Amino acid sequence: MVAPAALRVVRCGGGALHGARAVFSVGARQAGRFLLCASGDFVKMYSVATEELVRLLRGHGDLVTGVQLAPHNHLQLYSSSLDGTIKLWDFTDGILIKTFTVGHQLLALYALPASEDSVFVIIPKRDTYQLVSVKLTKAAGQDMEAKELSVVLEGVDASPKCTAFGREVYSPLGDWLLSLLFKFSLRATNKKGGNNVFTCVACHPHEDCIATGHADGKIRLWRNFNHKKEYTFSTLHWHHDKVLDLAFSVEGTSLLSGGVESVLVQWHSGSDCKKDFLPRLGSAIEYVSISSDGTFYCTSHTDNRITIINSNLRFSKTIQGLIKARDIKTGLVVDPRTKALVLNGEPGHLQFYCLQSDKQLYSLDIVQQEYIHQAGLNQSDLARVAFSAQGKWLATVEEREETDLELQLKLWFFDEETQSFRLNTRISMPHEDHVTAMCFRDMDEMEDDSLMLVTTGRDCVFKVWVILEDTDPEGNWSCDFVGSYHGYQATNCCFSEDGSLLAVSFEETVTVWDSSTWDLKCTFCHPPGKIRTICFGRLTCSKYLIGATDHGFLCCWNLLSCALEWSAHLNVVVLQPDPLSEYIAAFSWLFKESSLFVFKPNEPRPICIQRKFCKERIQFAAFVPRDVPETIGSEKYLWLRRSQLFFLTDTQELMTVSTKSLEERLTLSSKQLAVEESLPVTPFSLLLGKHRQQQSQEDVDLGKILLHTPAHVLPSASFLCPIFINSLLVSKENKSVEEAPAEVEMESEGAEDDSDEENTVTEMKQEDIMPTESLGETTHKLSKSEEKELRKIRKTDYSWISVF
Amino acid sequence: MAAAAACGGEAAARPPLAFSPHDRRLLAVSGSDGRLRVWDTVGSRLRHEYVPSAHLSAACTCLAWAPPGGRPPPDKDGPQRKKRKSEATGVDKQLDILAIGTAVGSILLYSTVKGELQSKLDGGHDSRINCVRWHQDNCCLYSCSEDKHIVEWNTQTCKVKCKWKGDNSSVSSLCISPDGKMLLSAGRTIKLWDLETKEVYRHFTGHATSVSSLMFTTVKPMNENKAFDGITGLYFLSGAIHDRLLSVWQIRSDRKEKNAVMSFTVTDEPTFIDLTVSELKEEPVKLAVVCRDGQLHLFEHILNGYCKKPLTSNCTIQIATPGNDGDSTPKPVPILAAAFCTDKQSLLLVYGNTLQPIIEKVSLNTNESHICLIRDVQKVLALKTDDAVTKVKTPVVNSDTKVLVPGIPGHSAAVKTPSSGKEKKKSKRKPGETEDSIEERLGALDIDVSKVKTPGGLPQTDSFAVLLVQGLESNDEDILNKVLSTRKETLIKNTVARMPIHAVIPLLHELTKRLQGNPYSASQMVRWLKFVFTLHASYLSTLPDLIPQLGMLYQLMESRVKTLQKLSRLHGRLFLLVTQVAASETVQDVTEVNQTAKLVYEDESSEEEGSDDEMIADKDSDENWDEDEEKEEQSDEQDMTVEKEINGDSDLEPENESEEE
Repeated sequence: MVAPAALRVVRCGGGALHGARAVFSVGARQAGRFLLCASGDFVKMYSVATEELVRLLRGHGDLVTGVQLAPHNHLQLYSSSLDGTIKLWDFTDGILIKTFTVGHQLLALYALPASEDSVFVIIPKRDTYQLVSVKLTKAAGQDMEAKELSVVLEGVDASPKCTAFGREVYSPLGDWLLSLLFKFSLRATNKKGGNNVFTCVACHPHEDCIATGHADGKIRLWRNFNHKKEYTFSTLHWHHDKVLDLAFSVEGTSLLSGGVESVLVQWHSGSDCKKDFLPRLGSAIEYVSISSDGTFYCTSHTDNRITIINSNLRFSKTIQGLIKARDIKTGLVVDPRTKALVLNGEPGHLQFYCLQSDKQLYSLDIVQQEYIHQAGLNQSDLARVAFSAQGKWLATVEEREETDLELQLKLWFFDEETQSFRLNTRISMPHEDHVTAMCFRDMDEMEDDSLMLVTTGRDCVFKVWVILEDTDPEGNWSCDFVGSYHGYQATNCCFSEDGSLLAVSFEETVTVWDSSTWDLKCTFCHPPGKIRTICFGRLTCSKYLIGATDHGFLCCWNLLSCALEWSAHLNVVVLQPDPLSEYIAAFSWLFKESSLFVFKPNEPRPICIQRKFCKERIQFAAFVPRDVPETIGSEKYLWLRRSQLFFLTDTQELMTVSTKSLEERLTLSSKQLAVEESLPVTPFSLLLGKHRQQQSQEDVDLGKILLHTPAHVLPSASFLCPIFINSLLVSKENKSVEEAPAEVEMESEGAEDDSDEENTVTEMKQEDIMPTESLGETTHKLSKSEEKELRKIRKTDYSWISVF
Repeated sequence: MAAAAACGGEAAARPPLAFSPHDRRLLAVSGSDGRLRVWDTVGSRLRHEYVPSAHLSAACTCLAWAPPGGRPPPDKDGPQRKKRKSEATGVDKQLDILAIGTAVGSILLYSTVKGELQSKLDGGHDSRINCVRWHQDNCCLYSCSEDKHIVEWNTQTCKVKCKWKGDNSSVSSLCISPDGKMLLSAGRTIKLWDLETKEVYRHFTGHATSVSSLMFTTVKPMNENKAFDGITGLYFLSGAIHDRLLSVWQIRSDRKEKNAVMSFTVTDEPTFIDLTVSELKEEPVKLAVVCRDGQLHLFEHILNGYCKKPLTSNCTIQIATPGNDGDSTPKPVPILAAAFCTDKQSLLLVYGNTLQPIIEKVSLNTNESHICLIRDVQKVLALKTDDAVTKVKTPVVNSDTKVLVPGIPGHSAAVKTPSSGKEKKKSKRKPGETEDSIEERLGALDIDVSKVKTPGGLPQTDSFAVLLVQGLESNDEDILNKVLSTRKETLIKNTVARMPIHAVIPLLHELTKRLQGNPYSASQMVRWLKFVFTLHASYLSTLPDLIPQLGMLYQLMESRVKTLQKLSRLHGRLFLLVTQVAASETVQDVTEVNQTAKLVYEDESSEEEGSDDEMIADKDSDENWDEDEEKEEQSDEQDMTVEKEINGDSDLEPENESEEE
């Protein structure tokens, strides 16, 4: 590309949001919270409060596989990618701090507080995978080589969910814990076949307890594994299918699990009987993660969505990318009303994706049947979608393949009064076999009788549907004409710009029909290939018909002379005409690379060639009209002036082409309005600040907290006990500052450690009898042991008594 | 107290409302409950809600979106990015900061992305803020207040940059010139300030009441021959409270001109104004004015000097409820605001109430002078309370939707093509037929009755045949039900054999109608059909208009039989053999039973000539008809359809062709 503004492929529509577990950043307020998640090659930072994309961290060359907060700096983030690098980011400013090149594909990343200068990653080793720790050097410089790898464990699973770290990792126990875990998994699979294969694992944050999820829907809690062979386990069972992810709450009191049922289950205190549910989360839960203070949960779903949930299992926010359907059959269709891109969404739904804001507008439930999550169950899904020119009519074809095919053609009318689509006509089995293509006659809808829908089917016919006005004011649809050609399967259909001609392709032949009399006007073919796609030229080129065959030919026929105008040897997979101009975009697929050719039908020379711009096969493409025509300097890219070209690859990545150079885009975005945060101090925050200061000076007034908060909101007693007892003790600093009988200091400290608990007990007994003030006077008359005892008491803090 | 009440009342009438600049993607509305809500204009979805800490005491009085600015790019990963082939679109123009003026004189800067208050600008004003405006280039903010002052803020440091007295009374509106060097301010009179020196550059008379809106309508002067200094020659628009006239002013080089150049008249006090700035001389300024009475007025005018007469609107838009069910009278729905989309062709309408406005994009058609849109606000709102988890919208599915299943007319076109073309003809023909046939029918009925009565041999079947004919003639449901529900094969056979020829077609129509009904009755009708075809095939084949008459029935059977093709074919062959054998044996019996010699003769002849090849083929296809449930011989028919459809006309029935042979 010598042109100053080369065409660049730009990703949009968001990559897979469920590539890795999302992490919450640490912040005091809810508003300052961010959710960091991997999305394709990027790490995305969303605001928890508003679900808006706040920042995009770009730099990885391949799929990001792991995202972890740096354990010792909560404002930094590690991310790993398949490109073999670990990157350290300052995510609040969006700055890449360091890049560590490991040199292997990194499949998962774990960063632990215990290991300051190294992280754990899973790398492939021939056909198995190994867990290695990578030492991250602290030397200055941006690009580092991290070649110091030490293998921790061989033969782990590739999935990041199948490895978890317990509370002490670098202690020998930790290592053993991991290996033991793996032994478990081996044993389980050997013993009972594939039924209870481990699917995921989570470690308790404080106790020696491991939770494992199984393919049969059970969760097992393992304890006592540090006594050889005497481990015990308990089983929790609710899920009916694979447990997809597990997570312990911060205190370890509850366990969250999710699976294909799209229900988040919260298990309390490890028992089977107490559990809470958050149902109807939309689709299968891929990952579950919990914020570090436990106030938020978040679930990543298979349909490219992240749901943020409050800790009381109340749904809070949702972040939705382009829904990944299992199979996109509808292609990319543009809704003329909203200019949104329409394609398959969740099963049976149509998603409307707003390209301007890069967000999902809504999804329209066309099939209106409950989706049942069960393997092997065929459910109806949308196969074809077409909009009429002004978006007044929507035609959908849904199909369900059981032993025989079930087809439904639905025609929806956009009701302006209620601003929603209303079903007008439902036609069951419009064809006996799959519907291969569908199109409306795109004409000015001022005259309603020109509206016409054509469907082609594999049952060798094409049908024309028109509106018959009888009872309904809008009229109902019914069949007007059935056409066929030598018993060949009809594969494509398309109307000419003025709607007078209909082209239908039957395997190797293109037939052209007069749309008013339904006479067969002429046929074209280019043997031996079957016709893959056809389209008419627009505007000045409306006399041409373009077709692509699967034998790698692109043909242009002149409708006036009924002769082949030109043909080119090109393996075209997608042919997309721009509705607003003469240009036609053709995507070819050759040697595992996609190329883009843009041409006008009246000249066989392409206007723009973009060879090998994408490594993936292009499935569908669509021209989306721009609101305002863009000013494009280069003549080569004039075809991008009126509309923007979007295309979808095999891996369901939505992409577009842009002529703007990177620099231009950057200067645009760098014009940022920097508003400093300056909030006046409110009386309340003043009060709070004063209170906090007092707290830091004095000891934590735990007794007060304990006695004044309702019992049901307190954490478990075992958790509170050490804190409570610690609060009763006088800390070292206070001791040395306040009163210092220096000679007995050391000794008493040693004693204190030994008899921690006795001490508190005696103290409890004595507290009522002894007035604190009189303590000093009585000491010298007592025996040495008593004196010691009393000193200890003196050291303790009595401020909590004042509470009573 | 009274002033406060007036203030409150005014605020309620004009809810602070602001579209995001350029693409109008977001709408910020501060409702009467003091909450700030940000709506997506596409799909009118609530983005988020913010409750200012003092939303009741310091109510929001005005809103302004900061010019969009993205975020600083990550600057350290430059070299790597060049290697990559693809790259994200990112968020290169994200709207973020919203300035909120309050009734107590403070300005809040709220970040809509983070969902939190960014900063609070305090100490500039000590009274109600009337208007806030962002400077388009540098991030300065201008505000004016009841306290007569105009303040220029530095939003980076959140400090007052400059403060000056703007008017003798309160300053109610501000506007920054397109080049960013001048500022218009208005209380009652309008002043143009030089922003560098903060000196008054021009005075304009203004309005009798305080000016509520100020806007520049052009960015370039209309006559290009003079050098443009950035401000001279520009037009701007002003509207005031309680004033039904919008005035347009021109900034001239001579200082004397102080009066309005022209004015637009509207029906009520303007509450929201939006316009498309014209950049070319020929391009008209499009103006959308929302009035207090909930109407929207559209003006289209090429600004060119004086115009004494106030201009009236090109188009008025109103919205009302349909008012057909429940409440009988349509109620008006107030329009709250309107904004032009970037293509300048379509308009975003905001209507309903401020708590949950409905935002809709309508394309402009200014040919009509008055447009009333009918919108069912209740239903729209009900539809929008969707599940927050997945944003799923459910389209309306009423019970009155038309359902087409295979076999129903209109499902497959083979019927429809003749009928759609000829249905009208048919319907024309039909009344004619019935008209002239009443006498004939009566006569025929008499004859039949007499005929039937005279033989009197088998009273049951006789009476059935008569009954059937009567039922068909009078279209009497009861009689037909009674006759057609017979299950005895012999009875049916005899009835069909005895019925007069002219009743065959009506019977077939009746049977077709009933076949489309419930499947149980269909199986019953099949028996009738079977005998009709076996006994009256020859008569049917003589009919010239057989295709239109029986096309629907053919289609119906076609679709029903499709499932069991091979089996039905076999059954059809066997049945054919059996009936032929049986027919050749029982020819004599039939003649004995039948009294009408002609008919019998024809029947006989057709069956005797069954050996003839042509007739067998004919017979074949006829036999197929009756076996609709189990058998269908389609091979030759399909061939014919194909042949015929190659020719492009499927008007002809396969049946017809075979018969024409």
